[in-house]
Amino acid sequence: MNSLTPAIQIENLTYAYGRADAVHDLSLTVQPGRCYGLFGRNGAGKTTTMKCVLNLLRPRHGQVRVFGLDPAKHEVEVKRLLSYVPDQVAFYPWMSVRETLDYLASFRAHWNRKIEQELFERFQLDPAQRTGSLSKGQRTQVALIAAVCPETDLLVLDEPTSGLDPIVRREFIEAVIGAYQQGIPGHRTILVSTHLITEFEGLIDEFTLIDRGRAVLTLEADQARERYQKIRARFAQPPPELDLKAALRIRRDGRELELIVNGAGPELMNLLRQHHPEALTTESLTLEEIFVATLKA
Amino acid sequence: MILQINFKSGMPIYLQIVDQIKAAAASGALRPGEALPSIRPLSEELRVNRNTVAKAYSELESLGVIETLPGRGCYLKENQSALRKEVRRKLLIEEVDQAIVQAHHLQVPRDEFLKLIHERLDVLDDKRRAHEGPKED
Repeated sequence: MNSLTPAIQIENLTYAYGRADAVHDLSLTVQPGRCYGLFGRNGAGKTTTMKCVLNLLRPRHGQVRVFGLDPAKHEVEVKRLLSYVPDQVAFYPWMSVRETLDYLASFRAHWNRKIEQELFERFQLDPAQRTGSLSKGQRTQVALIAAVCPETDLLVLDEPTSGLDPIVRREFIEAVIGAYQQGIPGHRTILVSTHLITEFEGLIDEFTLIDRGRAVLTLEADQARERYQKIRARFAQPPPELDLKAALRIRRDGRELELIVNGAGPELMNLLRQHHPEALTTESLTLEEIFVATLKA
Repeated sequence: MILQINFKSGMPIYLQIVDQIKAAAASGALRPGEALPSIRPLSEELRVNRNTVAKAYSELESLGVIETLPGRGCYLKENQSALRKEVRRKLLIEEVDQAIVQAHHLQVPRDEFLKLIHERLDVLDDKRRAHEGPKED
């Protein structure tokens, strides 16, 4: 495998359930070793996109490549290279946790027992418990163990933390950071879809924001936080009419002014300074605030 | 050593780690020869990507602040004068200029600004002394 081959390459993907396009003309590239976020509201097309990557759905138009392979034509090869935690985890309810993991391990060429043991202890799971009586959080933990232990090159996480309590969520993400990214940094690739962006903030290298099936914004996380800023200014008197067309959003309240900007921060800061504000501050938007600002603009 | 990441500062996360480790080294919170936390536990604690911590460490290494001993981890360098004096001055001048511009916009006059610099130097000296202070046992 060539190191320049993208882990995932999606070109002009379109998929429709019935008449309405769930995903329309979507393109994105995930470089190997990165943690890539797919952000969007409920129904934006995140799961549909992932299912096309996993060959659970066949694209109507466009193409998907996983490490250069077509998931429809090279189904087994592609499945060997990836593991997946779905949003709804289902196991055979009569099997114990131990039996479930042994069953899943039997499909895999490789299974890291040491990581399995570590995660068992971390999550404090009882191997004898039947999966039917696990809580939602515990089922997700078992699914994560099953996805991490084969140590595949690509980990796909579909809304992995929705519906989980805050403690389980934190643990889940720490476990992903610790166990999945073990070994050579930059080796393993993660694709994660979520609308709970704040939790994944530090993990994301790059993201695509999807709205109504279309890619609205693709950016590196560091670049995004540099470009999207919130500027607050307070003046001695209510500010005069200023040319603030470069701002995404403007809020005025008496002597105060709040701007959301995309890239035009320095120019607008200079403009505001010319009117001698009493206070002038700027801060980056978090990825979640960028999500909200972009979709509400 | 305790690090704190702020996603709203507008500074890339790896640079925040670089700056905080440099500050820890300058204040004595991290002493020459002391080990830095290894990449995995630090990335879990900060809840950031491992690649980010690895990038910060390689940046610190190329700046000559830390050194990597294969198989043993990263350590703060004993002798940190790896950067030539001129280069160090130049780096510092950029930062000082920024502070001066900021002071101008906040209408902090010259005397007050200089006084503040002295105060901050004293604070840092105090911190360093506290770290080097009487050892237990």
